[in-house]
Amino acid sequence: MMMPPSTARRLCFLSLLLLLLLLAAAASATADAAAAEEFTEELLLRPLPDRKALAHFHFRSSAPPASAAGRHHHLFPKAISQLVQKFHISELELSFTQGRWNYEQWGGYDPMSTNNAKPPGVELWAIFDLPLAEIDATWKNLTHTLSGLFCASINFLESSTAFSAPRWGFKLNEGNLRYGALPREAVCTENLTPWLKLLPCRDKAGIASLLYRPSVYKGYYHSQKLKLKSSQSLGIILDQTLTVVLQPNTVSGKQLHSTGGQLQPSWSMEHLFSKKLSGKCLVSKSSRVFVEIEKGIVDNVDKAGSDVSSNNDLFVLSTAPDRSLKELDNLEVQSSSLYEYDVNNYNSDKPLNVGITWKLPLIWSCTRAPYHASRFLMGSGNERGSIAMSFLSTGLDKQLVDSSNDCSIKAVVFQVVPWYVKVYYHSLEVFIDGNSKAISEVVDKIHVTPSEDKLLPGTMEMLLKFPCSMQLATLTLDFDKGFLHIDEYPPDANQGFDIPSALVSFPEFNSSRSYPEADPLFVSPLLENFKEDGVVKSYTEVLLVPLTTPDFSMPYNVITFTCTVLALYFGSLLNALRRRIGEEERGLKKAALVRELQFALLQSQSQMLRWSTIYFFCWI
Amino acid sequence: MAEIAGDETPPLPSSSGAEESSLLSSPPSPTAISGDEPPPRTRKPGTKRLVLTASVLLSFLVGLPLLLKSTEIHRSPLPSDAIADLSRRLQSHPPSFPCGLHAVFLRSGPGSPVASLADQLERAISTQHHLLPASSTAGNISVSVTIQSGGGCTSSTAAASPWRCGLLTAADSVRDDEVFDELLHSALGGRDGDGMKVYTIVIAEDDDGKGTRVVIGKHRHAWVVGKVDEAEALSLIGNVFIKYFMNGGIEEGETGIGKGEFMPVGSDGNVVLSFSLLNADPNDWVYDWEFKNIGERILTPVVEALRPVADINIESQVLYHTPKSSYSYSDDKLGGNVLSMGDIPFFVNSNEWHLDTSISATGRSKVLQFVVYIPSARECPLYLQLPDGELSKTNAFISPMWGGVVIWNPPGCSVGSKKAHGTRRQMSSQELMETLEIFIGQLRQLFGLKPNYHAQGMDVATKFLVSEKGFAQWELDLLYRHHACSNLLSCVATLESLSSLVQSLPRMIVMDEIGRQVCSSTTLAEWIVHGHLLQYFFIYFSATVFDSE
Repeated sequence: MMMPPSTARRLCFLSLLLLLLLLAAAASATADAAAAEEFTEELLLRPLPDRKALAHFHFRSSAPPASAAGRHHHLFPKAISQLVQKFHISELELSFTQGRWNYEQWGGYDPMSTNNAKPPGVELWAIFDLPLAEIDATWKNLTHTLSGLFCASINFLESSTAFSAPRWGFKLNEGNLRYGALPREAVCTENLTPWLKLLPCRDKAGIASLLYRPSVYKGYYHSQKLKLKSSQSLGIILDQTLTVVLQPNTVSGKQLHSTGGQLQPSWSMEHLFSKKLSGKCLVSKSSRVFVEIEKGIVDNVDKAGSDVSSNNDLFVLSTAPDRSLKELDNLEVQSSSLYEYDVNNYNSDKPLNVGITWKLPLIWSCTRAPYHASRFLMGSGNERGSIAMSFLSTGLDKQLVDSSNDCSIKAVVFQVVPWYVKVYYHSLEVFIDGNSKAISEVVDKIHVTPSEDKLLPGTMEMLLKFPCSMQLATLTLDFDKGFLHIDEYPPDANQGFDIPSALVSFPEFNSSRSYPEADPLFVSPLLENFKEDGVVKSYTEVLLVPLTTPDFSMPYNVITFTCTVLALYFGSLLNALRRRIGEEERGLKKAALVRELQFALLQSQSQMLRWSTIYFFCWI
Repeated sequence: MAEIAGDETPPLPSSSGAEESSLLSSPPSPTAISGDEPPPRTRKPGTKRLVLTASVLLSFLVGLPLLLKSTEIHRSPLPSDAIADLSRRLQSHPPSFPCGLHAVFLRSGPGSPVASLADQLERAISTQHHLLPASSTAGNISVSVTIQSGGGCTSSTAAASPWRCGLLTAADSVRDDEVFDELLHSALGGRDGDGMKVYTIVIAEDDDGKGTRVVIGKHRHAWVVGKVDEAEALSLIGNVFIKYFMNGGIEEGETGIGKGEFMPVGSDGNVVLSFSLLNADPNDWVYDWEFKNIGERILTPVVEALRPVADINIESQVLYHTPKSSYSYSDDKLGGNVLSMGDIPFFVNSNEWHLDTSISATGRSKVLQFVVYIPSARECPLYLQLPDGELSKTNAFISPMWGGVVIWNPPGCSVGSKKAHGTRRQMSSQELMETLEIFIGQLRQLFGLKPNYHAQGMDVATKFLVSEKGFAQWELDLLYRHHACSNLLSCVATLESLSSLVQSLPRMIVMDEIGRQVCSSTTLAEWIVHGHLLQYFFIYFSATVFDSE
C-alpha cells in the first residue's frame, strides 16, 4: 500500500514523538526503580481438568544497581545480594521439586509448564560473569553456599561427576553456564523455611501466609523455585515461585454436578489452604491474586453463547474480580481469561476467599506440547541395557502446521548421564513410526561430551528434526553399567541409581502470552514472566537404573570364617596338648558314682518333704 | 588325638598323647585303675610335645608383627616439650611492649631551668612504676622529663619525644581544651605514628584559682592545669599514666580489657558489623532508615581507627515481623511498658529474628549484631529497667561477643496510642545518629573499653576529650597491645590444648600436615616470646591456618 509522502512524514514524526515519550517514560521508570528496592507478591489459581487445582505463588524482590549492593538493604534479602556479589552470578535458578508435572493433564504448552514445571529433586543452573577458567571453582563454592542457605545437599553437585556445561541444548551460552541435578533429593519443609526467610514478611503476612504446610505437602506436585538475574544496569531481580497442584479439600455433598461419575469440585482458597487471605504484606508494592480460566473452558463458555465474565453459564467466581484480562497466545488467539483481585482491598475483617463454583458439568483438556516425550529403560540384567526415548505426537502439529511433505518439527534433547552408566553414543538408533531411519535424516546437530570414569558425566545435546506426519519416534542408546568402589555406593544401593530427567524443548513453539487489554500502568511481574519468550519445554521421567551391588556383608563374612578356622586350629591343638584322656575317663567314672549317691539322697529327702507336707496340712 | 600318636609307634608311653593311644589300644594296667591319683609319669615329656608347643608359639609370634602392622596408626611427632616450655614462659613473663613516658613541666617563671632538676624528676617518676599492675601489657617504660620556663627548655638525658620548645606556654592552657589538645599535638611533632609509643603528660602551672584539673586528650597526651607542687605533680603523672594510658581506666575487679575478656575479632582479623532495624509488628508502623549515608558517614572514622586491630565491614538490613521473645509489663507510674534486667537474656528472639550470618564474613570472621528494636504499638513505649529501679538512659544493652540491642521508641508512641496502620515512615537522621552513638559506645564496651569515664579514684577533676573516631589514640594503643597479647596467648593455648589432646589419646591419628604446622607455629611463637615482635603477624597467620585445619 502506498501513501502520500506528507502523510508518511507526519507518521514518521508522530512515531518519533511517541518513541521519545516512551523513552522518557522508561527513563523515569528506571529512575524510580533506582530509588528503592521493591517487593511484589502474586498468586495465580487455576482449576485443572483432573479435579485438581493449581496454585502458583510468585514473589519478586528487586534491588536497584547500587554501590552498596550486598551491604545495605531495606527489603531485598542481604544473603542473596551477597551471594550474587561474591560469585559474580548473572543468572541462577534453583528448584526443589517433589512429584512429577503431568504434561498430559495439567498442560504442556503454556508458560506454567514451560517455566515452572521442573524435574523431581533439585535442579540448579547458573551463568557466571567470570573468566571461563574460574567458573568451575566458583560453582563448587556456590553449591556449598546454597547448600547451607537452603538446608539441602546441593553440595553433592560440587563433584565434577555431578555437573556439566551444556552449550546450546539447555540454554544458549558462551560456556559460562553450569548445570547440575540431584533427582533423589527429598524436598520438605526444611527447604521451604529458608526460602520463606528471603521474603520480607516471611509467612507472617500477605500471600505467603496461605502456605499452610500440611496442605502444600499433601499435594500432587510442588516445586519451589528461586530464580535470579543480575546485571549492571538492572540490579538484581529475584523471583521466588512456588507451584503446587492440590486436591481441593471439599465436602463431596456440596458439589453440584458430576461428569461421568467424576465430580468437578467447586473450591475456594479455604479448601485449598485451610485459610483465607487476610491482607497483604505491608511492605509489598503490589499484592494480587489471579484466577486463570483455561482455553478449554473459555471455548466451552463461548459455545454456550455467554460472555466470559466471572458469572456465566458454566461457572461463577465467589468474589467479583477487580479486573479481568484476556490472554492471547503467541499466535494472537485468545487462550485464557484472567480475573484479578487486588489484595489491598481486603483485610482481616474482610478476608479474600476466591473460589470457583461450577454450574454445569464440564470436561475440557489443556493444550499440550507437540510431542509427549518419555524416557524408559530397556534390557535386563546388571551388565548392560539401553535408554529409549519416545516422542508421541499429540496432534497439535496438525492444527498448527500444514502437513505438507517437507515440513518438519524441531526438538532439542539435553540429557546428562552419570559416569557409571556408560552410554555408547555411536549406538544411537532412530525409529520413526516403527521404521529404522538413518541418523543423518533425523539428527540435525549433535554435541556429545562422553563420560570419563569418576571424572565427568556424559552430556548429550541433540537437535532432532521430525517429519510433521510422524506419529511416534523412538531413539535408543545402549549402555554398559559401571562398577563403583564399595565406598561410593549410597545407602540402600539396591534401590538403584537415578538418572536425572532429560529436557526436551521445541524451539519452534513458543508459549509466551500477551495481554492486549491490560493498562500500561498495570505492572505485574507474574504476567511479565508469562510474556517473556518461552520455548516449550518438557522434562522426561527420572530413570532408575539398578547397578550391580557388591555383597556389602562380605568383609564381615570373611572375617568371621577366618576367625572360626583359626579358633578351631588353635583350640584343638591346645586341647590335644593339655588333656589326658585316660585320666578323664577315670574321672568320669568316679563322677558317675558320686551322682548315683547324690540321687539316692535326694530321693529320700523328697519323700520326707512330701510326708511332712501332708502332716502339716492335716494339722491345719 | 589318636592320629598324632598314630604316626609313630613309641615303645613305651612317653608323652600324654602316646599314653592316650596306649590306653586306647591296650587294656589298662591294674595300677592305673585301682589308684585315685594320676599314674606317675615315668619319663620326661619328649621332644614332640616341645615341637608342638613351639610351633603354636611361633605361629603366634609370626602373626604378632602382622597384627601390629595392620592396626598401626600414623602419628606425626609434635613438639610438646617446646609447647609446654612456651606456655610456662608466657605464664611467668607475660608479653610486654616497650613504651615511653614523657613529662613536660611548663613553668611560667622567668629564667632557665636547672638541668639537674630534670634528671632528678625523671628518677622520681621512674620509682613509681612498681605500682604498675601485673596484668598490664606495658613492659619496660622509659621515662624522660622536659622542663620549660620563660628562659628555655631543659631535658633529661633520655628525652624520648620531640618537644618543640616554646611553641606552647602555660598561658595557653587557659584556652579551650580542644584547641589546647591540638596545639599540644603539634608541639609534640603531630604524629600518631608507629614506633615506640611515648605518652606525654604536661604539667602547666597556672594559678587562676580554679583549682587543679586533669584533661586527657585524644592523642597520646594529657595535661594538668593548676597550681600543683612537685610531689603532687609526680603522683598525678603516675596516676594518669598507669590508670588510663596503661589500663584504660579499668579498676581491679571490673571486667574490661585485659581482664580475661576476649576481643570480638575473628581469627582472620575480620569483623562484620551487621546493623538491623527490626519492626516488631509492621501492622502498627513500618520504619525505614537511611543507613547507607548516615551510618557510613558516622562509622567510617571508627572503622578507619580500628583498622590495625581488625578489618571491619559494615552491613545493614531492615527486617519485619520480628517480635521479641520476652515479656514486658505495663507500668503506669513510668508511663510505659517495662522490661526488667532479668528478662534481657530472653529478649533476642532467635526464631523470628533472622539476622543471618553474613556470606561476606568468610571463614572465621566474627559477626557483631547491632539491633534497633522498634516495639509494636501494644508494647510501646518500652523501657529497660535497671536493677535499682531506674530506667536505662540509653535503653540499650550489650551481649558480649554477640553485639548490642537498642530499643527505639518511635516518636509519638505512648500507652494506648492508636495504630498508625501500616504507615511507612523514615527514622529521622537525628535519631539515627543518636542511635549510632549508642552503638559506638556498645562497640567500645564489646572491645573491652569503658563506654565512658568517670573520674573515679582521682582526687582532682578529670576531663576526657572525646574523639570523633570513638576511640582516642591512647585507647587504640591499649587495644593493639591487648589484641597482640591475647592472640599470642590464644595461639599458645590452642597449641597446648592440642598437644595435651594428642598425648591423652594414644590412638589418635596425627597427620603430617598437622605436625608440620604445629612445628612452624611453635617456632614462630618462640620467636615472639623472645622479643621478635614483628613476626607476630606470621604466627598469627599460621595459628589461624592451623585453627582452621
